[in-house]
Amino acid sequence: MSRAKARGMRLVFDRGTIVLLGLEGDAAHAPQGFASLPGALWDPRISALRCPARFHQALVADLGQRGVRFADEVASPPVKPLLESATVELRPYQEAALAAWELAARRGTAVLPTGAGKTRLAIAAMARAKVPALCLVPTRVLLDQWARAIRELVGFEPGRLGDGEHRIDTITVTTFESAWRHMHRLGNQFGLLVVDEAHHFGSGMRDEALDMCTAPMRLGLTATKPRGLAAARLDELVGPTVYELRIDELTGEFLAPFDTVVLHLDLTSEERTEYESLMAVFRDVMHRFRRFNPGATWDEFATAAARTDEGRRAIAAWHRARRITAFPKAKRTMVGALLARHRAARTIVFVADNPTAYAISREHLIMPITCDIGRNERERVLGLFKEGKLRALVSAQVLNEGLDVPDAEIGIIVAGHKGEREHVQRVGRVLRPRPGKHALVYELVIRSTSEVEQARKRRSALAA
Amino acid sequence: MLPESGIPFRIVGGRVLPAYLDARDVPWLRVLIEEVDRFRARPVRELLERLRQPLPCATPPFKLRAAVAVMLRLWKGELDAKVPPDKARESLFCAAAAQIESDRCAAFASAAQALETSPADLERGLFADLPGEKLVCAPSNIPSPNDLALRTNQLILRSLLFHARRVRIKAEGATRPLVRQAKLRGLLCSVTDGSPPILDLSGPFTVFRHTLLYGRALGELVQFLPHCAHFKLRADCVLRGQAAILDVQSGDPIFPAEAPKAFDSKLEERFAHDLKRAAPDWDLVREPEPVPAGGTLIFPDFLLRHRLCPQRWFFVEILGFWSANYLVRKLALLREAGLGNLILCLDESRGDELLPPALLPNEARIVRFRRRIDPRQVLAAAGEEIPTERTAKDPRP
Repeated sequence: MSRAKARGMRLVFDRGTIVLLGLEGDAAHAPQGFASLPGALWDPRISALRCPARFHQALVADLGQRGVRFADEVASPPVKPLLESATVELRPYQEAALAAWELAARRGTAVLPTGAGKTRLAIAAMARAKVPALCLVPTRVLLDQWARAIRELVGFEPGRLGDGEHRIDTITVTTFESAWRHMHRLGNQFGLLVVDEAHHFGSGMRDEALDMCTAPMRLGLTATKPRGLAAARLDELVGPTVYELRIDELTGEFLAPFDTVVLHLDLTSEERTEYESLMAVFRDVMHRFRRFNPGATWDEFATAAARTDEGRRAIAAWHRARRITAFPKAKRTMVGALLARHRAARTIVFVADNPTAYAISREHLIMPITCDIGRNERERVLGLFKEGKLRALVSAQVLNEGLDVPDAEIGIIVAGHKGEREHVQRVGRVLRPRPGKHALVYELVIRSTSEVEQARKRRSALAA
Repeated sequence: MLPESGIPFRIVGGRVLPAYLDARDVPWLRVLIEEVDRFRARPVRELLERLRQPLPCATPPFKLRAAVAVMLRLWKGELDAKVPPDKARESLFCAAAAQIESDRCAAFASAAQALETSPADLERGLFADLPGEKLVCAPSNIPSPNDLALRTNQLILRSLLFHARRVRIKAEGATRPLVRQAKLRGLLCSVTDGSPPILDLSGPFTVFRHTLLYGRALGELVQFLPHCAHFKLRADCVLRGQAAILDVQSGDPIFPAEAPKAFDSKLEERFAHDLKRAAPDWDLVREPEPVPAGGTLIFPDFLLRHRLCPQRWFFVEILGFWSANYLVRKLALLREAGLGNLILCLDESRGDELLPPALLPNEARIVRFRRRIDPRQVLAAAGEEIPTERTAKDPRP
């Protein structure tokens, strides 16, 4: 490599990427010796090498090893002085998780059950790292919750990006969506990236949010680590699993013990007839597809089905059949009976979709928490639930993950659409420990439908 | 934006052929508009339920879905409740939770009393703020079927461009909004000299992999194209898992955005007004053709041209509000453009410490101003004899 060619080289942050300026290459190719820099590709549009921002640290190290002189103009000055040393008290397993993360060069994922205190662990990591931190959370509901937790634990009002706010601070909380949209402008302002519910990344959707940030320290938090290719990609973006605990390892001392009761119910004869006729339409198309495409995934089937009238009808029939099993008469009756039976206890009802949540809310006069309920009302409602002025909540997806629901004892799982991961998260909602507490989770399953197999898979995931 | 599976288009020989709505679609569009309008003042969920069922005439399903998506943005939901729904919910559900034995009527009566309303109104308003429960409200101007077709075409194109990797635009006239929009949305915009110049637009991250990160920004360019005198757009898209080229050009049926604003600021507007009054022999052209500089385009604010001696012309650039970075970049581009006939108007009140003379283009004629640009100084910079100042009381023409 020629030193002359690298003279006056500058690294600059350009919209979520790092650009190496000052290299003399031709329009189409990188100068010899610079093509193998970590993550870097020659960008003929600007005749310069470019790499995703997350490679910043590796790039600096690589250039240093090659003895190249360069000016690093990537980092943006911190918006405010960093946090004064704040200490966050941790449980022993949280302390162990934090130590494991620190030993892994502050880059990795902690897999802890719902209710194990992942937020507290992350805030402790921020306090110890003492660099500007950006927390990515999946929903606007969690944005509020994280902001509140940071305020309570370290006495710092964090910046917020998302849900109509745009204020960047030493610690900033943002939704995945806002991070994806704005990281090209903010990606060089943080030293630590905290990714809550990290299993949402790794599949390609919104991965750029993590790619476009220079933060060398990364902490992923999840209760359900992804498998396969997504896990490998998550390792690249956030870091490998550095600490892992299962629900049963915390049950008793740090999580409330619980029992699961599966209630098998029947469709009425009219519902059964309609269900079977709809599934016949679906199965016919599905079986023919499977014959020619053995081993094809559901997504592949859905894509193929969308191209023909027959396929579209099959998908529509499948959706209608799912709607029948999601809230048939038997479940409706059983929900009423369970709510009456546990009238004195704090209960969360989980359903498959918002219309079902509103139907239950109207019928049993319990509060729905859905994406349609605004932030202020949501906070008020959770406060009333905590105080005991509201005794039951019904939700489709908002309470599925992350949201810190105050101390519920009963969970009623009427239906779900998102598989095992959703189930683990839902059960975790009722495991917040309290002296003498024993949580109870009811699962309502319709006999001789696809729900039976789904329920089996869900339970095996919980046991794993 | 339409989901990929819902966009009406075909791919033939590696080219994307959008299924634009045209005169043949007017009959069913008319039926659709009438059908949607029937649901005025009824819950949105009833309208949505109705739209899931077929119209009483033959309709192409994908085009229908696209048109429905456009209509649902125009026919909005409106809240209609005597009691604020969030208060109604809190009051009712707390009243129900306070009961030892569940008694629905008693809970409604108690909550209604607390809110000074009737149980019936309370029940009606309980979820009135949910998207499906709001009442359908028609737009002030109901679009004609043709209008709806153009709007739907715009949505179809935007949805296709959402899947674009790169867009090249050859456009004459009104290119400024295109470039401004591209820069505002973080796109790379490189310019190839030519007449007209070719804009090459893509996102920085595109060099690594196909991403939807810039799809929205690329799609937003569509609405500005109808304002160009002539344009040709070519996009490299990835649709249905394959690479394909999308061509759009002048004459394609796209609904235009609102016309671009005539002026960027009050300062410019006032200057244009003052100069036209002060110098009747000079024409002031707003947003002249862009000038290539440093691999991009610069858009001088005005072209000042003598009507009788058209060879006497000047670009006028007004630097009224700036940040230090913006100023350095802007002046670097102006220097690179090497414009021999540039009049640069600088706001004195911003202070001169950010403006070392070395930054200024050598050839530029400088006019300093405070709050308002004196047209006589600009004309003087253009070598024109300074006209006598007129006042409101001055009766001379």
